[in-house]
Amino acid sequence: MRDDVSWQEGERPSVAELEERAFELRSKLLHLCGTYEGAVHIGGDLSAADIFTALFHYGLHVDPHDISNPHRDRFLLSKGHAAVCMYIAMSMRGFFSYDGIVETYGQLDSAYGMHPCKVQLPGVEASTGSLGHGLPIAVGMALSGRHRGDAHRVVCLLGDGETGEGSVWEAAMAARSNELGNLVAFVDRNRQLMTSHAEERIAFEPYPDKWRAFGWDVVEIDGHDMAALVKAIDDLPAPDSDRPTVVICETVKGKGVDFMERNLAWHAGSLGAEDLQRALAALEASRQKETV
Amino acid sequence: MPVTFTFGEMLSARSVIGTTLAELGKTHDNLWVLTPDIGATLVEFQETFPDRFVDVGLAEQVCVGIAAGLAYDGNIPVVSGMLPFLSMRALEQIRTDVCYPNLPVKIIGTHGGLVGNGGSTHYAVEDLALMCALTNMTVTSVGDPLMVGEVLRQSMTLPGPIYIRLAVGKKDKVLYEEGQHDVRIGKGIIARDGTDATIFTHGTTVAQALQAAEDLAADGRSVRVVDMFTLKPIDEALIAQCADETGGRFVVLEDHLAYGGLATRIADVVADRGIRLNAFERLGIPQVYAGFGDDEELRDKHGYGLAATVAATRRVIAHPSWASSH
Repeated sequence: MRDDVSWQEGERPSVAELEERAFELRSKLLHLCGTYEGAVHIGGDLSAADIFTALFHYGLHVDPHDISNPHRDRFLLSKGHAAVCMYIAMSMRGFFSYDGIVETYGQLDSAYGMHPCKVQLPGVEASTGSLGHGLPIAVGMALSGRHRGDAHRVVCLLGDGETGEGSVWEAAMAARSNELGNLVAFVDRNRQLMTSHAEERIAFEPYPDKWRAFGWDVVEIDGHDMAALVKAIDDLPAPDSDRPTVVICETVKGKGVDFMERNLAWHAGSLGAEDLQRALAALEASRQKETV
Repeated sequence: MPVTFTFGEMLSARSVIGTTLAELGKTHDNLWVLTPDIGATLVEFQETFPDRFVDVGLAEQVCVGIAAGLAYDGNIPVVSGMLPFLSMRALEQIRTDVCYPNLPVKIIGTHGGLVGNGGSTHYAVEDLALMCALTNMTVTSVGDPLMVGEVLRQSMTLPGPIYIRLAVGKKDKVLYEEGQHDVRIGKGIIARDGTDATIFTHGTTVAQALQAAEDLAADGRSVRVVDMFTLKPIDEALIAQCADETGGRFVVLEDHLAYGGLATRIADVVADRGIRLNAFERLGIPQVYAGFGDDEELRDKHGYGLAATVAATRRVIAHPSWASSH
């Protein structure tokens, strides 16, 4: 039973509304980058912004006012360096105050840091940041939910670069072995590591086949196509099915700000006042282009 | 099924783990047992609670990660395996996934020390140094096989993680009579009393320390043996008490690197509290990758066997005291 955390009929936003929220999420993210003096992992935040929007504003059955509800879907951010984008997406769903994030991010005693900490910020599901750790934890949560007979899902967002970590594949094997159809991985396939374009260094391809070989159901979509994200969520197998699903989201690192897109210099950075205006203008231009 | 035993008898600590977990599984419906392919002695739990038993195969990292996920969801996971691999291959999962959020995961395993004749790939000799460095971790090393069950039972109420170290666990001497000692995590046990010196030890070398004390008694020496089975938090009061009561003469004996384990823990307390000692010797594994041989042969070769323990204890007793040398 999940009635107390489920989306109610007609409550879910439309694709157009979700696109609007994704724009707002990117805009708020850029503003934070313009406020905070330190570096923000802006490239991998922007590549995942549509995924965060689709999950927190459409997919996940969660209640921001009842964060311990046992029937809630669990969301694990395995690519922990995208925490700030998650915080903002969650604030827009009502978990936190955006002003609180912007005003305290990265400061002494703030709950909002570069990588999410469950102890300091109970609204997140786990303390993550070291790559390759999220999916194993998600397997444990999925086993627990399955054992209790609960119908919730455990959703884990990974970066594709992160899947170079061997522990991801240990978890992939464990998930299939335990027939965890209540486990869903989203991979932000932005094809960039911190210092390289992935395929130049690491033979990720044939990437979807690697997941298939581990016994997962594989869905491949454009990770910036909100309708495709919504459809992927709608089409997920029932949580009591026996195969885990990976949704491989083809994305662009820095998506929405043309001078950051696929640019290795923008893995992480901060924005001065001028850069901020330039980035916001680029974001607006990108929206106009998409609308046309 | 309750474990029956006789004092002095050889007993398998592994069978105690298996029996205790099966017993605890009945009283704790949120207890899970996970293992990376070291499940032979967990059969009773596995057969009784198949839904709460997970064998991940050879994959220590995901084993600990899954335990963290289970614990986040309100369960009490016990990870049972071989310590060289759990403590090193899965060190980051233990530190970051378990200790950082302070989750009640129990790590229990065998092959602590130069035991089992597996060679240096299979000897956990740095594990206590690594585990003691982790914030929130409780660290234990248990020699008496029956104490293993008691420590496991007590660990159920710990809010955070615990590391429980065993030797091979196939054939261990029952050291204590039932009810002889008040076993409490965080408190050392005076396994044998004495006044001339204290041998602090843990795990598999407790039996050796008791034998050394017995041998020295034949010479009229009165040697105390402390089973310091909890390394963290360390029983500071007992260390101070032993300094007072045994002439400030300490030997620390352990099947672990001589630096980084119990000797280091005790030396830290001595320094921090300004405890004045007359003599301090540490017996443990030097900075070598030990070769093959049976447990006793290896301890003798590397300088912390029975003869070395007796000799070191004689030296600390014979060492001039501050009062006479200054």
